[in-house]
Amino acid sequence: MAYLLLMLLFVPAAGAVVCALVKDGRFAKGVGLGASVICAGIAVALLFGFDWKDANPQFGVSLGQIGPIGFEARLAVDSISLWLVALTALLQMLAIASSLHGIRERVREYYGWMLVLLSAMFGVFMARDTLLFYAFFELTLVPMFFIIGIWGGPERRYAAGKFFLFTFSGSVFTLAAIIYLGLQAGRFDIDVIVERAKSLPAGTLIWVVLGFLVGFAVKVPLFPLHTWLPLAHTEAPTAGSVILAGVLLKLGTYGILRFVLPMGFVNADLGVLVKVVGVLCVIGMIYGSLAAWVQQDIKKLVAYSSVAHLGFCVLGLAAINLEGVQGSILYMINHGISTGAMFLVVGMIYERYHTRDINRLSGLARRMPVLAFFWILFTLSSVGLPGLNGFPSEFLTILGAFKSKHLGFVYGAVAAVGMVLGAVYMLHMAARVIWGPLKTPEVETEDHDQEENPLPRDLSGWEIGILVPLALAVVVIGVIPGKMLNTFREPVIQLIGNVNAAASQQTVVPDAPVIAAKER
Amino acid sequence: MTDLLSITIPELILVGAACVLFFLGCSRRTAARGVAAWLALGALLSALVVSVYALFSAVAPVEMVSGSLRLDNFGRYIRVLGLAVGVILLLLAWPTRADRTGNSALRFGGDVGEFYAMFLLSIAGLLLVAVADDLIVLFMALELLSIPTYIMVSISRPIAAAQEAAVKYFFLGALSIAVMLLGFSYLYGSTGQIRFAEMSAVLRGSMEATGALPRWQMFGVILVLIGFAYKMAAFPLHFYAGDVYEGAATPVTAFLAFVPKTAGFVALIRLLTVVGGDHFKLPPQILTFLWVLAALTMTIGNVLALLQNNVKRVLAYSSVAHSGYMLVGIAALFPHLQRPDPRPLALSGVLFYLAAYGIMNCGVFGVLMLLPARDGRDDSAETFEELAGQGRRHLGLGLGMAVCCLSLIGIPLTVGFLGKLMLIRPALAGGLTWLAIILVINAAVSATYYLHIIGVMFLRSEGAVDEQGLSGEAAMRRPQFAVGLGVVLSVIGTLLFGAVPPAAQILTYGAELGAEISCAQPIAPPATGPGRLAADSP
Repeated sequence: MAYLLLMLLFVPAAGAVVCALVKDGRFAKGVGLGASVICAGIAVALLFGFDWKDANPQFGVSLGQIGPIGFEARLAVDSISLWLVALTALLQMLAIASSLHGIRERVREYYGWMLVLLSAMFGVFMARDTLLFYAFFELTLVPMFFIIGIWGGPERRYAAGKFFLFTFSGSVFTLAAIIYLGLQAGRFDIDVIVERAKSLPAGTLIWVVLGFLVGFAVKVPLFPLHTWLPLAHTEAPTAGSVILAGVLLKLGTYGILRFVLPMGFVNADLGVLVKVVGVLCVIGMIYGSLAAWVQQDIKKLVAYSSVAHLGFCVLGLAAINLEGVQGSILYMINHGISTGAMFLVVGMIYERYHTRDINRLSGLARRMPVLAFFWILFTLSSVGLPGLNGFPSEFLTILGAFKSKHLGFVYGAVAAVGMVLGAVYMLHMAARVIWGPLKTPEVETEDHDQEENPLPRDLSGWEIGILVPLALAVVVIGVIPGKMLNTFREPVIQLIGNVNAAASQQTVVPDAPVIAAKER
Repeated sequence: MTDLLSITIPELILVGAACVLFFLGCSRRTAARGVAAWLALGALLSALVVSVYALFSAVAPVEMVSGSLRLDNFGRYIRVLGLAVGVILLLLAWPTRADRTGNSALRFGGDVGEFYAMFLLSIAGLLLVAVADDLIVLFMALELLSIPTYIMVSISRPIAAAQEAAVKYFFLGALSIAVMLLGFSYLYGSTGQIRFAEMSAVLRGSMEATGALPRWQMFGVILVLIGFAYKMAAFPLHFYAGDVYEGAATPVTAFLAFVPKTAGFVALIRLLTVVGGDHFKLPPQILTFLWVLAALTMTIGNVLALLQNNVKRVLAYSSVAHSGYMLVGIAALFPHLQRPDPRPLALSGVLFYLAAYGIMNCGVFGVLMLLPARDGRDDSAETFEELAGQGRRHLGLGLGMAVCCLSLIGIPLTVGFLGKLMLIRPALAGGLTWLAIILVINAAVSATYYLHIIGVMFLRSEGAVDEQGLSGEAAMRRPQFAVGLGVVLSVIGTLLFGAVPPAAQILTYGAELGAEISCAQPIAPPATGPGRLAADSP
C-alpha cells in the first residue's frame, strides 16, 4: 500500500505539470478535478487499508536520502495524519469542484497551482522526516501566494504578500530550531529529533521549542500573530479560503501536536510556556469572537471565527491530557469541515449577489431555501450544537482545559465564555442574513452574468453535490464521535505517556468513561 | 615540469584559447569572428572534462605540489565549479545576431574576439586562485581574474552607464588591490616568507609562542581580508555593487556576481588556512571581525536591496547579502568552546552555497535578459515596470524566474534551501547561534524583494504596451536559443540539486570532498628558523 502515499504526492504534481503544458483551459479543469478525485479515492483506500489497531506509522516508504546531512525523505501515516490527509483530499476536491464556475481567467495556472498545493499539503501530513515536513510546510506558501494574489479580491496583492511574509518570517525560526536539533541528533527523523530534544537542558530546550512555536503560531494563528489571517481569508477566492481555513491552518496545529507538544509542553520545566500559550489561546478566543461580532463582511466574520476556533484547538493541545489532545485533533477535522463549508456557502452567495455585506443581504431563506438549510446546518455545527460535529470537540477541549495540571479552572471558564460568544456572533449573522425580510442587492449585470449558463436562483445540483458530503460528515461525526476519537486514541496515549514519563509524575489514568459517554 | 603541466592543463587550455581569440578578434572577416563563441565554449568544455576526469580519477585524492601551485581537493572542486558555471555564463553571453554579434542584452560590436578572450582569462584567473600556493601567484591570479572583468564591463554595451560602471569598478578595484597588497607586504615583511606552507608555519609558530598573532601580522591579515571583501562584494567594500551591476550588460552582471565573488571566497579560505593552519586555529579577533563582517554584510545588503527600483540593482545588493550568508559559514570555521569541530561542516557549507548561488543566480539574470524592455528599446528588461505582467505573457520564463527567486529566498525543494541549511548547520554547530538567527531573519527580509519580483511578474497586469514597443519587440525577438539553454540549465540545476535526493547527495559529497584543504608542506619541511620570527616588526 506504500505506493499509495507516493501516488498522493505525485498524482497532483503530475496533474500540475499537465496543466502547465496544455493549451486548453477546459482540459486543465478536467485534469484538476480528475487528479483531486483520484487523490480522494486514494485517501479512501488508505482509510480502508489502514490497520487501526496499530498506533505506529504505517505504509512507510522512502524517496531517497541525502547522506551527509542526515536527511531521508520518508513518508508514512499514523491515524492522526491519515484523518488529516483524508480531510485534505475531501476539501481540496470540493474546493476545485466549486471553482469550475467561478474561475474564468488564467484557468490553467489556477488548476496547476491548486494541484501543487494539494501535493504539498499531503506531504506535510505524510512526512516522517523533520526537514521533509518543513519543506512541504514552506512549499504550501508558494501556490497559496499565487492563488490569493491572482484570483483574489481587490486587495489581493497586498494580502498575498502579507500572507507569505508573515508565515515565512515565522517559519525561518522553526528552520533554525530544526537544524539545531538535527545537528544534535545527527538525523532529521521526527522520532529521533523529538527524543533528542527531550534530553536537552531546559535552558536550551526553551529556545528550541520557542523556535518551533513561532513558526507554527503564525500559521495557526495564535493571538498577536493573527493579523494576516482575516485579510488573506477575505481576499482569497472561495476555494483559496476553503483550503486556507480548512487545511493550511491545521498545518500549524499539526506541527504543535507533532513537535511542540512532545518536546516542550510535556516538560515540567516549561510549565510557564504552556501557561503563556494557554493565555494567548483564550485571548484569541475572546478577541476573535468579539471581532467577528462587529464585522459587516460575512467572509471576514467567518475568518475571525477561525481565530477564535483555533484558540480552542491549541488550548486542547496545551492541556496535555487525553481529553484535550483528542478533542483538539477532532477539532482540527471539524473546523476544516464546517468552516470550509461556510466559506463555500459564502462563495455561492457572493457569486449571485456580488456582495458579502451583512447590511445588504437579508432574508435569503425566502429566495434560497436550500442554501439556507445548509447555511444553518453549518452554522450550528460551528457553534457547537450537541448532535453535530462541533460539540464533542469543543466540549473535550474545554474539559481538557479544566482538568489540565497547568491550565485549570480559569482557562476552562474563559473558554466556555468563548463558546457562548461563538454562538452569539454566528447566530446573530445567520439571523440577519437568512431570516428577516428579503433584501438582496440589485445584481449588476454588466459583467459575466449573462453568459451561457447563468446561476439558478437557489443552489444548482452541482453546488448541492459539493455541500452534501460536508453535511454528511457534520452529522456523522456529530452522532458517533467516539468511533473517530478511538481511532487516534493510541497515538495520543503515546504522547500522553511521554508526557508523564518526561514530567516524572504519576500516570494520569485516561478518563475512559468520558470517552465512552461521548460514544452515544 | 611534467608535474606542473599536469596540474595546470585546464588553465592552459583556457589561456591558449584566449590567445587564439585575440588573433581572431583582429580578423576583418565576420565568419572568423563568428567562431569565437564556439571556440570559447569548446575551451571551457574541454577544460571541464579534464577537471571532472581529474576529480574522479584521483581515487585517493593526492595533493600535488609543483613550484608555487598546490592542487588539493579544494582546488579540484573550485575548478569543476568555476568551469561548469562558466559554461552557463558563456551561454548567457552567446551572440545570437550575425549583424551585431551580440545578443539583445549584450552589444560588444566588433570586439567579439576580445570579449570572449577576456571571459576565458578571467575564469582561468579564478582557477589559478584556487591552486595558488604563494602570495605572488595568488596576487597574479587575482589580477588575471580582475583586469578582464573591468574590460568586459566597459565593452559590454555602448552606453554611458556601462563606461561609468567600468571606471568605477576599475578605480575601486585598484583601491582594493592596493589595500590587499599592503596587507600582503605586511605578511611578507613580518614572516619573511612567500610560500603559504612556510608562512603558515611562521604564523602558527608565533601564535603558539605568544598565544596571539603579533600586531603587524594581524594588521596584514585584516587588510587582506578587506581587500578580498571587494571581490566578494562584502561589507566595507560593497557599495560599488549597485552601480556596476546596473551599468554592465546583464550577462556581464551575472559574470560579476559569480566569478569575482567565488574568487574572493576561495582566496579568503586559503588565507585563513595559512593563518590558522589546517585546523583553522585562528585568533579570536579574526573571528569577531568575520562575525561582524557577516552580520553587517547580509543586513546592509538586504536593506539596500529593499530600497531599489531596478531589478538589477536589487539583485546586486542581494548578491551582497548572499556574500554575508556565506561569511556566516566562514565565521563558523573556528573551533569553538570544545564543541565538535564545525570546520568540515562550515567549509562544505560555503562550497555548496557557492555552487548553489552560481546556479540560481544565472537563472535569474538569464530570464531578465530574455524578457524584452517595454519602451521599444532594443534591450532587455531591467526595471519592475518592465517586468510587470511578463510572467503571464511568457509563462515559461516567468516560472523559471519564480523558481530561481524562490531558490534565492531559500524555499524548500530548491538548491537555495539546501544551501541555507548547509550554512546554518555549521553556525549552530560552532555556537554562533546569534549569527544563525541574524541569517534567518535576513532570509525573511530577502523574501520581501524576491517576492516583489515574482509578484510583479505574475500578479500585476501589463502596463500599456505601445504599438511601437510591440513591433520593435517582434523585430528583435530572434530565438535566443543559447541564452534559453543557459536558463533551462540553471532552472534544472536549481530543482535537480534541491529536490532530487541522489543529485543533492552528489553535490553535498562534492562539497565535503572539496572541504579537504591543507597548506602543510608535504614535500619538504618548512625552512623556518627562530631567526625568522624575529622579523615581526617591519
